Amino acid sequence: MAFVRIIPRIDIKGPNLVKGIHLEGLRVLGRPDVFARYFCESGADELIYMDVVASLYGRNSLKDFIAQTSREIFVPLTVGGGLRSLDDIRDVLRAGADKVSLNTAAINNPDLVAQAARHFGSSTVLVSIEAARQPDGSYEAYTDNGRMESGRDVFQWAREVERLGAGEIMITSIDREGTGSGYDVELTRRISESAAIPVIACGGAGQPADIAQVIKSGKADAVSAASVFHYDCIRQNGSLKGFTGEGNVEYLQQVAAGDRAGFSMVEATSIRALKRELLANGINCRMDTEAYAKH
Amino acid sequence: MQSTDTDRPRIAIVDFGMGNLYSVKRACEHFGLTADITSKSRQLQAADAVVLPGVGAFGDAMDTLRQLDLIGPLKDIAASPTPLLGICLGFQLLMDGSTEFGEHRGLGIIPGVVVGLRETIGADSAVKIPHVGWNRIKKTRDQRQPESEGIRVAGDWGNAPLSGVPDDAFLYFVHSYHVVPEDARMTLAVTTYGGAEFCAALQHANIFACQFHPERSGPAGLRIYESLATSLTAIVPQD
Amino acid sequence: MTDSHDTFLGLPQDVVFCQRCVMSNQRPSSYPEFKHTRNRITPTLHIDADDVCDACRYADRKKQIDWNAREEELCRLLDKHRRNDGRYDCLVPGSGGKDSAYAAHVLKYKYGMHPLTVTWPPILYTDYGYANFRDWINIGGFDNVTINPNGRVHRLLTKLAIENLLHPFQTFILGQKNLIPKIAIKHDLPLVFYGEPEAEYGSPIAETATSLRDASYYAMEDLEHVHLAGVAVPKLLEKYDLELNDLAVYLPADHRELEQSRIEVQYLGYYLKWVPQEAYYYAVEHTGFRARPFRSEGTYSKYNSIDDKIDDLHFYTTYIKFGIGRASYEASQEIRNNHLTREEGIALVRRFDGEVPERYVKEVLDHIGMEADHFFHLCDSCRSPHLWRKKGDSWELRHRVS
Repeated sequence: MAFVRIIPRIDIKGPNLVKGIHLEGLRVLGRPDVFARYFCESGADELIYMDVVASLYGRNSLKDFIAQTSREIFVPLTVGGGLRSLDDIRDVLRAGADKVSLNTAAINNPDLVAQAARHFGSSTVLVSIEAARQPDGSYEAYTDNGRMESGRDVFQWAREVERLGAGEIMITSIDREGTGSGYDVELTRRISESAAIPVIACGGAGQPADIAQVIKSGKADAVSAASVFHYDCIRQNGSLKGFTGEGNVEYLQQVAAGDRAGFSMVEATSIRALKRELLANGINCRMDTEAYAKH
Repeated sequence: MQSTDTDRPRIAIVDFGMGNLYSVKRACEHFGLTADITSKSRQLQAADAVVLPGVGAFGDAMDTLRQLDLIGPLKDIAASPTPLLGICLGFQLLMDGSTEFGEHRGLGIIPGVVVGLRETIGADSAVKIPHVGWNRIKKTRDQRQPESEGIRVAGDWGNAPLSGVPDDAFLYFVHSYHVVPEDARMTLAVTTYGGAEFCAALQHANIFACQFHPERSGPAGLRIYESLATSLTAIVPQD
Repeated sequence: MTDSHDTFLGLPQDVVFCQRCVMSNQRPSSYPEFKHTRNRITPTLHIDADDVCDACRYADRKKQIDWNAREEELCRLLDKHRRNDGRYDCLVPGSGGKDSAYAAHVLKYKYGMHPLTVTWPPILYTDYGYANFRDWINIGGFDNVTINPNGRVHRLLTKLAIENLLHPFQTFILGQKNLIPKIAIKHDLPLVFYGEPEAEYGSPIAETATSLRDASYYAMEDLEHVHLAGVAVPKLLEKYDLELNDLAVYLPADHRELEQSRIEVQYLGYYLKWVPQEAYYYAVEHTGFRARPFRSEGTYSKYNSIDDKIDDLHFYTTYIKFGIGRASYEASQEIRNNHLTREEGIALVRRFDGEVPERYVKEVLDHIGMEADHFFHLCDSCRSPHLWRKKGDSWELRHRVS
């Protein structure tokens, strides 16, 4: 049986890691490199970096951070956010990313997926689909970090994306993300069962059981989560408290003042603890002591 | 005595426009090696070791190597004592040929072929292709005694590249095709996916090749670069 | 040397942008709506000699505030008013948006007060906005009084406000500002808590020192001087065949009643540091608030003012009249809170400000009985020459923030 991958997702705005709800709000939780290091030491199988304002501002600014990361961290890195052309993709791969994630540009110009797959290899190209449930039960794909409707049905788009040559699909439920109310298992299952390529579930993890559920019932090949891991990192890393700088740092200031801890909507968990629980539930994942030894 | 840049072993990473060359470079540098990403045959020939990485399509890769006039030089390096490390697509290119998108000829350095994972595993749709993620490897021969099994080992690889990697270690794979070497004794380690077992790493003379990405496999994968560095620094003359 | 052009609404001839946020000196300050006529001279945002606006100056002062002391002040105030005899002790106006959700919840569950929430509803609820309102009451847990205006009068006044003033939002503002103190009097609730102080947006700074709202905003003397939709009340009654009672919900409280009542209209933002984005997270956590599923037209956000379908028209008209759209308002606020840099704010304004509304326009205009063509024609006639110039078939702002 394949080993499920656990992939923490790091949303980035400028110099900061941020975390919203329904892909809205840019609460700063600290410096992304602190989180990246912590997650790797805790057993992350891969990392995803998303520049959440790249499409909004028409800019790409992750290269320095990618280069820094790839000097220290030796697990696969997927980078997304505002990648619009083969040149953008090439730049990011040169900086040290292993895979790229396309969303907005792919929906606006599906041929980009085909070109990127041809040029860089299918396995380098991940297509991220942000899905919002409509009142009639259908799911529509959104672009620009959950801001604009595309008019495309998520399941049709997923099939097309595979046909165009994408190597993986990441399916994010906008309705669930940041809320800790669990993944949209049904959405994930439908995407995964109709795709021959791996599917990564994203959006809604509130506790380890949610992750187990989206693997078992949702048939996810890999699972991405953010809040559950971030708030654990903050409680373990004193350096993040009292963080100042640009952005909405109010939450961290309150943590430093002792006025807050955690985030009531999620049960913070380390990746190590999560994997132990998955194994106890009969779910295969990578867990060996070597992974945690600092080199 | 301090070693200067010129004393440090130089690795040449073949640049044929494909693959994440930069993480290979970082992994080399992590162990004190100097790494150049290059498509110039002179630099390849002058290097203390050569890495052939790659992600992408077999046919396109061979076309590019042909256009860059690197096929000859690579074969020369393979026949020399210089250590040659093939990674992922780079591993596959060493073989005679591949069935990816038609029939393509490879470098023909290692006898064997490259076939689709889907062909080998069968049509079970629950098994996703490409094979993406971490998987365990199982060592299939004792590397310390390969000579007795008729395998030539050049002294340059020292204790053999997988020596620091525990049996059953997790390494990171991302591929849709896999290698079938003609001589199974060359296989160093195998992995299992979708119920099928296939070659994960191979060694013959100065050539070591792996289907997984050692520069992306955390501490376990880095051991391979470490053993390369160790074996190279041991033989670089100090004066 | 700039050319001189006619200015509408008594706006300042020269357009000046604040160098800290992205606001301009064309921004109207708070103004008593019942004095609002077509010929008014609009009081506007003051930008000082260093090109910094009052709102940014206030934001600077906010950094000096001793919030512990302010919170103590709040507790003393609340202690004076708190009732434990089963009755309400304060009034929180709102409709379950992030700010009223935060205010009501923190007053009740952190400070032990017993608020009555009072809602003057949107002219046309969005469905997710209505869901947020219900969740505020059901999940947040509050009693609520909603005053629904006479729909025929409400639609008439809204239409007239657009015709006469290009001000779709006036009927909402009238109710919000005038009704709340009247309800407070009726329920004997002297303590009313709005959200952040208005100085945040550039009204006279002096007011925030005591955190009380200027009584002139809601006192009234004589109906002749009271204008609704830009029309004096007696004329309104005559021309549209209305009775005074039909306008009851829009008229300000009798100032004698107010004086006798001891009402204090407080701004919670005076006592508690208000970070709009954090109000969003708080509302999601505690009252089931959900952001809009798509970006608001004319801006980048999904959680600000999302319950009224007329909002998009409102911000479009501010863009027409003042050259300031929704993105400008939101970006300015976020810049002052350090959530955005000015460069980012400018990029957002350039991309989204003044986006022509599409999603709800037809529905809203149908509701009030106005043709879309007529609405956009009215808009064009309100483009002040000192702000706009014609370029071929389309219009272009003479001045853009940079």
